[in-house]
Amino acid sequence: MSGEKNSNTAPVRDLTVKQGFKLSKFLVSWEMVLVYILILINIVLIASRPNLYFSSGTIQSIIQSGMDVCPLVLGMILILMLGDIDVSVAANMIFASMATGLCCQAGLPALAAVIIGILAGAACGMFNGVCVAYIGMPAVIVTIATSMLFRGIVKIVLDVNVLKQFPGFYTAIAWTNIAEIPLSLILFLIMGAGFVFLLQKSKFGRKLYIIGNNPTCAEYSGIDVKKTKLLVFVIMGAMCGVASIFFVGRMGGSVSSTMGTGYEMTAIAICVLGGVSTNGGKGKVYGPIIATLIMAFLTYTLGLLEVDANTRKIVTGFILIIAVLIPNVNKQLLANLKLKFIYKGNKNAEALNNRTLEEVKALKNTIAETRKDTSLSEPDKGVKIKKCEDKIASLQKKCKEQTAALLKEQREDERKAKERFAVK
Amino acid sequence: MGVKNKITVSKITESRNFGLLLGLAVLLILAAVITPSMYSLNSILNMLQNNAVYGLLAIGEMMIILTGGIDISIGATLSLSGVVCCRLMAENPGVPGAVWVLLALVIGGICGAFNGLLVGYFKMVPMIATLGTMYAFRGFSFLFSGGQWWFPHQFIDSYLAFATKRILGIPAILWILIAVFILAFLFLGYTTRGRRIYAIGTNRESSQVAGIKEEKVTFLAMVICGMLAGLSGMLYTANYATCSYSIGDAYEMTAIAICILGGVSITGGKGKVDGVVIGFLMMAVITYFISLLPGLSVWSDAIQGAIIIAAVALNIFTERSAEKRALKERGALI
Repeated sequence: MSGEKNSNTAPVRDLTVKQGFKLSKFLVSWEMVLVYILILINIVLIASRPNLYFSSGTIQSIIQSGMDVCPLVLGMILILMLGDIDVSVAANMIFASMATGLCCQAGLPALAAVIIGILAGAACGMFNGVCVAYIGMPAVIVTIATSMLFRGIVKIVLDVNVLKQFPGFYTAIAWTNIAEIPLSLILFLIMGAGFVFLLQKSKFGRKLYIIGNNPTCAEYSGIDVKKTKLLVFVIMGAMCGVASIFFVGRMGGSVSSTMGTGYEMTAIAICVLGGVSTNGGKGKVYGPIIATLIMAFLTYTLGLLEVDANTRKIVTGFILIIAVLIPNVNKQLLANLKLKFIYKGNKNAEALNNRTLEEVKALKNTIAETRKDTSLSEPDKGVKIKKCEDKIASLQKKCKEQTAALLKEQREDERKAKERFAVK
Repeated sequence: MGVKNKITVSKITESRNFGLLLGLAVLLILAAVITPSMYSLNSILNMLQNNAVYGLLAIGEMMIILTGGIDISIGATLSLSGVVCCRLMAENPGVPGAVWVLLALVIGGICGAFNGLLVGYFKMVPMIATLGTMYAFRGFSFLFSGGQWWFPHQFIDSYLAFATKRILGIPAILWILIAVFILAFLFLGYTTRGRRIYAIGTNRESSQVAGIKEEKVTFLAMVICGMLAGLSGMLYTANYATCSYSIGDAYEMTAIAICILGGVSITGGKGKVDGVVIGFLMMAVITYFISLLPGLSVWSDAIQGAIIIAAVALNIFTERSAEKRALKERGALI
């Protein structure tokens, strides 16, 4: 097994970054699947309530109903990208709204109050970040505890009171349309574009992918993992502050300590549905953006179909589970089923078949390359292709024979074992 | 191994339970100074009775945390089993109470098995899987209850007896709790399956190489946790003689907090039942303490959150210093 021989047979890894645009691949990508789901939901809605769907203002109000969670979704993408999780976002959002509300009550100018709200959110995020990154506590536990803490602080400060003084533009953001397009959707898309740039084009975003895939590797390649983690949590906190603008506007400009429970679950569910892996290091911004719209349409459609709020919870739960399961199912489960039924639980046979498949694939690649190669003359090409095809045939034949032999051996062993125990 | 170490003072002070007991003592003294009315046998029994559900949940949660996972659906499982038992009990008053205990165990077991299937066999991240099932179980609970409430006059006596009947002066729910503590202690310490739970949590890969089926062990832990959650749902309704779908909200957080207070390592593989018992006592004293002081009830969430953070931070620092000390003893660190 020399190195040279290996380089001939093993598939060479494609190191080109841009793989070119392929329509067939694009149409079955997860983002496109989400678009199909969105279209499907729309068709169901049209079929069930045609009058309502085409009357003016319906679609706008559907979209508006789902937009109060959108900044949380964008922030959550970054957190999940690290392989962490943040379940304190809803409490953080309420905390930020409280800060803004108290400032407005004290008579500060609107802009200062908003900035203080966002800063309060960022401070809460920083607390989470320090606990997770620098002390090394697990993110789940920290954020569960801080969600109790933040909401607890709001409860202490507000007790059962409701804050009602908020800047006037809050409700405008949540409820107005510009040229028939909801203002909140426009803002969401602008923020989304910002996050696309941050995650896909900037150095910071690329760092997140590395950390999510392998934190140790990231540490050794000179990335300050702790600092990056802290920064991500601070961004999440600031996004909670931004979310408070959407949320308070949506609630008609008031906030109390019990509002917004369950928003963190919705945000995580949307991210997972949008194709962001909870193990970290996988996902794009487009998916969750479409998934936010899906969630809005789904909730509204189910509401119109007279499904009550708690049943909708069941649907949300199962969507979350199924969205995570799908990628697992087609890889692991298929492999397991194949092992069980085709190879009769014989791992040697499975390994043999897998190896042969890989080798055949590599050979087929070389055939395709020779076809494209212009430097060779036609007869030369023919000879080379013929050689490869022969090799494939012989490999497959050999594999079949060996598998049969292995299975036969196994059957024989089982028969022998049975005989031995049957006698006694 | 095999050599009995001498018990020294430093050994006692260094063990984790010592710190916990010290904390408990401080709390008790604090409570004695501020609210002396807490110290009567009746009120202590009352306190333990009302907190017993947390103890059951914490033992279940502990099994899962030991495998390195987490289960946040136990509050919803509690609600589901409570609602199913109450509704069927109110509709069939002639059936003896023991049937409902069995039913609660079965319902909890099914919920736990579903979680176990997702986490163990489909390899989902435990947090996300149980997040989803939490939604689903709570929704099912609402569907089954139809938004209805059940009140004391609808409960039959043999149902309530499982929580409130006094045997030797101690409520039945506490006897059940003690039995569960002892069973968990024996299971985790002295059976093969119990030791396997520790093995999985300590090092997943090496335990797999050693021939332990990781899927089965995770599944088992999830089923046990679900059964305990189901049982606690039935006992909760029997204890308070009221029920609605909203019971058990955020109880999973309290259960996790008790585990962490009791020294169960959140990364898995470390933690003992006796630590959890002490954690349970501490949490009971804290919640009771808060409820006794007027005007402090709004503080309860914030205090609980702060306690969890402090406990986890303490847990991590002690673990780190223990690691460092071990390295120093082996001469790896100067």
